[in-house]
Amino acid sequence: MATEPPPPDKYDIVAAYQRLLANDHDLTKPIAAIEALVDAMATTSTETVSETLETLEDHIRTLKSSVSNPISLSAGTDLFQRYLITTLNRPSADLTSPAGAVDFDAIRNQLLTNRGLFASRAKAHRATIAQSGRNLIRDGARVLTNGGSRVVAALLRSVAETGSVRFQVVYVLDPDAASQEGEWSGPAIVAMLRAKGIPVATIPDSAVAGALAEIDLIVVGAEAIVMNGGIISKMGTYQMGLLGNIKHKPFYVVAESHKFVRILPAGQYDLPIKQRAIDFKVGKEGELVSIEHESQGGYTVEDEAVDLSDSGASGGKTGKKDSDNSENPVDYTPPNLISGILTESGVLTPSAVSEELIKIWF
Amino acid sequence: MSADPVDTGETPAAPISAPSDAAPPQDAPPTAEKGAPEKPALSGAELKKRAKAEKAAKRAQQKAATDGTSGAPHDSKPVQQEPKQQKKDGKQAPKEPKQGPKEAGQPGMPIPMRRRQSVTLPPPKEKEEVIKQVGLFGHLYGQPKQHSIAAAAKEVHPAILALGLQYSSYVICGSTARCVSMLLAFKKVIESYTTPKGQALARHLTSHHLSPQITYLQACRPISISMGNAIRHLKDLIVKIDPAVSEADAKEHLIDSIDSFIKERITAADELISEEAMRKIAEKGDVILTYASSTIVQTTLLKAHDAGKQFRVIVVDSKPLYEGKALARNLAHHGLQVSYSLISSAAHAMKNVTRIFLGAHAMMSNGRLYSRIGTAAIAMLAHERDIPVAVLCESVKFTDQVALDSIVKNELASPEELLSENERSALVDLLPKEKSSSTDKHEDVMKWWRDEPNLQMLNLLYDVTPAEYISIVITEFGSLPPSSVPVVHRISTNT
Repeated sequence: MATEPPPPDKYDIVAAYQRLLANDHDLTKPIAAIEALVDAMATTSTETVSETLETLEDHIRTLKSSVSNPISLSAGTDLFQRYLITTLNRPSADLTSPAGAVDFDAIRNQLLTNRGLFASRAKAHRATIAQSGRNLIRDGARVLTNGGSRVVAALLRSVAETGSVRFQVVYVLDPDAASQEGEWSGPAIVAMLRAKGIPVATIPDSAVAGALAEIDLIVVGAEAIVMNGGIISKMGTYQMGLLGNIKHKPFYVVAESHKFVRILPAGQYDLPIKQRAIDFKVGKEGELVSIEHESQGGYTVEDEAVDLSDSGASGGKTGKKDSDNSENPVDYTPPNLISGILTESGVLTPSAVSEELIKIWF
Repeated sequence: MSADPVDTGETPAAPISAPSDAAPPQDAPPTAEKGAPEKPALSGAELKKRAKAEKAAKRAQQKAATDGTSGAPHDSKPVQQEPKQQKKDGKQAPKEPKQGPKEAGQPGMPIPMRRRQSVTLPPPKEKEEVIKQVGLFGHLYGQPKQHSIAAAAKEVHPAILALGLQYSSYVICGSTARCVSMLLAFKKVIESYTTPKGQALARHLTSHHLSPQITYLQACRPISISMGNAIRHLKDLIVKIDPAVSEADAKEHLIDSIDSFIKERITAADELISEEAMRKIAEKGDVILTYASSTIVQTTLLKAHDAGKQFRVIVVDSKPLYEGKALARNLAHHGLQVSYSLISSAAHAMKNVTRIFLGAHAMMSNGRLYSRIGTAAIAMLAHERDIPVAVLCESVKFTDQVALDSIVKNELASPEELLSENERSALVDLLPKEKSSSTDKHEDVMKWWRDEPNLQMLNLLYDVTPAEYISIVITEFGSLPPSSVPVVHRISTNT
């Protein structure tokens, strides 16, 4: 320590995080963050508890500042930070040297050996949710969903594979180019379900209210579940919740419990991210549409029908504007609109979320 | 006597035997109520309850006999518990008119009850002047508030005597302020304490030295939830003192513990809460509405202002305490943009508000907020307009009690506080000629109000805000939904 403190930028955590996400499409952001942090902690050699925690905090800060929406990522970093603090404060016998001091090498080894556990457990959780969520969808049900949620997709696939439940899916697809890439994008899930023989209809955001009369239940994924049991999810989820609430359609959230985050927004504009859902502009006559086109990141007004061939072109066009275009806009759905939250540990009411979170934190 | 609004009205005041008829089952024949035969049918719990009620009644009568000149009301605790009992009784015999042992114990008060032959005649009225009571809130009328030190027990420490008067005159007002000032006064009480020969400090201090102080404070104004929590903590500390420790050391330990309690649970907590709440205020353009006055809200707003945030504050206030005046003045003095309005214009004030900050008297275990009366109306208006409501509350104000309405548990202040000096003067001209006899016109107005049989006056101090109207509870543990209150309470009392 006295000779030379290791520079904090020794390990490029952001690159590691992006690499993990790119390599494994099954990986959620919190899990990728945890894995990146494990790698980072394993490579840095620290000697004291406070030094370790400081390094960790430094990494977390770097990671959070690298993305425009750190909410879902922070679920992972918080969990890991908590885990490390508890391990350091109350180390088990095999992690301490005979003198009673914390053996940092042992902790590093333990972290590395358990590294894969986070990801594999998360995947197992998704399977559990898909399994237990089957009861949600009855024979003859018509399900409304949106976004590109891995869990929702796993759930629908699992129900489809039982073969005994006939159900239909109405998928809200917005023509936003950025979300239409990758294995878990909306179009890919639609294609997967159709291949399984499930009738899938796609509608734009604007048709949600119109389609609602035909819907039996709403199932959505979540980027993060906040303390009061509300969710932060893809922009458009809130309106589905609101409309569903008015029309008394059950609104279920399917998410792994590692997405619980320790924040509590008081409303749409109380999210700890910088995002401008409303962006005012003025312009000359006839210019209006093209300006809006640009600000929305390739979201054209006329482009309501899903057109996959178009996605490449518009994606390229907006790519230059926002380096982090993979971060889609989100909104906050308050808990009073949510009927239940399906996690790997069962169906929770929104109010049970805070209790789960407090259990972790105190 | 004609003042009672309950339709069962003009019944004789209760004799001491009255409580016993709360216990027998509803369908029991009237003859069974006459004395012994019905007694064995009672369960143990019922017997116990009845014994307690009778005891309370007896005590109350004794007190009435001495006309309040004897020491501090020793039965303040039982009196507080009565409402619960009353409720239970009501459940067991739902058709019976509402009747509680406590009411029975207060002579001169109309008791709605079934007429029975075995009823002895009511004791002669000893006092002509009776405080008029609003029927629904009958269980809340305890001893009249103590406004002088004349009736204080001799054990009461001078610091406590002074404090009690400050409580009853609202000089020290607000749950946190009362809690801190009480703890500081207790430090002096402990300092001046010497253990009598042959006694152990751990056993003697609480019961003989501390409890008269608490009883006196309770008589001045019912103790708050935070004070209750602090007292419980202090008693716990005293009991845990090792008898082997010398008195001086024990006292020093207690005084240090009180200091650290104030520091941890209130001073440091306030620091954390105001930091957290400040983060909720946007850099620019927020309009924050607050109701009445809360120290922690004031700290938060001042901090946010010092941090360069640009926002406007609306202080909504109400009769009769006008606590918001001081807050509005303080904020304006520090350079904040403040507007002040009364609760009657709250709906209008709410127009451009982006955030509500509320202080708390207590947070109930069902997530409800128990705070200055009027808070619920503000929260409801905000909910209507989808404005986030944040409650700023230290965990020392959390309680495991639940509150469903503002009736079962509340604090009544003297109805005379409802009329200010000016308002009384305005009424002087309306005074009927034959009523104005004495020279003190103001007193005449009050007497006229009191004697008017069709006029009821009610001065409640608190109300209960439903949890649905609260978006966030900001505590030293962070921002929580109101549903987390019991969890946090459990955590904060266990450690």
